[in-house]
Amino acid sequence: VVPGETALAFYRAKNPTDKPVIGISTYNVVPFEAGQYFNKIQCFCFEEQRLNPQEEVDMPVFFYIDPEFAEDPKMAKVDLITLSYTFFEAKEGQKLPLPGYQ
Amino acid sequence: MSTAMNFSSKSFTPRPPDKGAFPLDHFGECSAFKERFMECLRRSGYESAACRQSAKAYLECRMDRRVRPPGPGAETGQASPQQLMANEPLEKLGFKDLINEKSEEKPEKS
Repeated sequence: VVPGETALAFYRAKNPTDKPVIGISTYNVVPFEAGQYFNKIQCFCFEEQRLNPQEEVDMPVFFYIDPEFAEDPKMAKVDLITLSYTFFEAKEGQKLPLPGYQ
Repeated sequence: MSTAMNFSSKSFTPRPPDKGAFPLDHFGECSAFKERFMECLRRSGYESAACRQSAKAYLECRMDRRVRPPGPGAETGQASPQQLMANEPLEKLGFKDLINEKSEEKPEKS
């Protein structure tokens, strides 16, 4: 991935149960310091998503790495950034601490 | 989520996406485009820059589709159809150079 260029990535999620599941996901970036340069244009995260029984879906993330990443001397040795998502079941009345979204 | 204990000028807190969330492609309408993109990545050794045409095609597929989200209301048709992706000019999505390329290539195609 070239800093400043938009890129697409796919994850896949499956609901292995026989009941519909409403899930919500949040993300993490490793190494920690690279997270500030990670910009999501659009993704499946932070909003509740419904998966029907046995349903399997592709989950895209459209993002770019801030070009300032290439200028940051602390990032000089970073050539691998890992983006991970945790997708968990939304419970009634549960409120994720959404960062000013919606 | 780790709490940030650093004092650098930029700190990492989860940020919502600029253009919001993608509705799920429950019916796999754009799966073929996704497969083409993944194939391209495998062929190119996972070099994202090599597969931007396929990525652009996938996003165009999403913008063209209108589906009813499954769940309550889907059967009765009460749930209003939604796009898999809101229409955005391709230049704003970082594909400006690809659009110009396309129009230059066209006369050369047999």
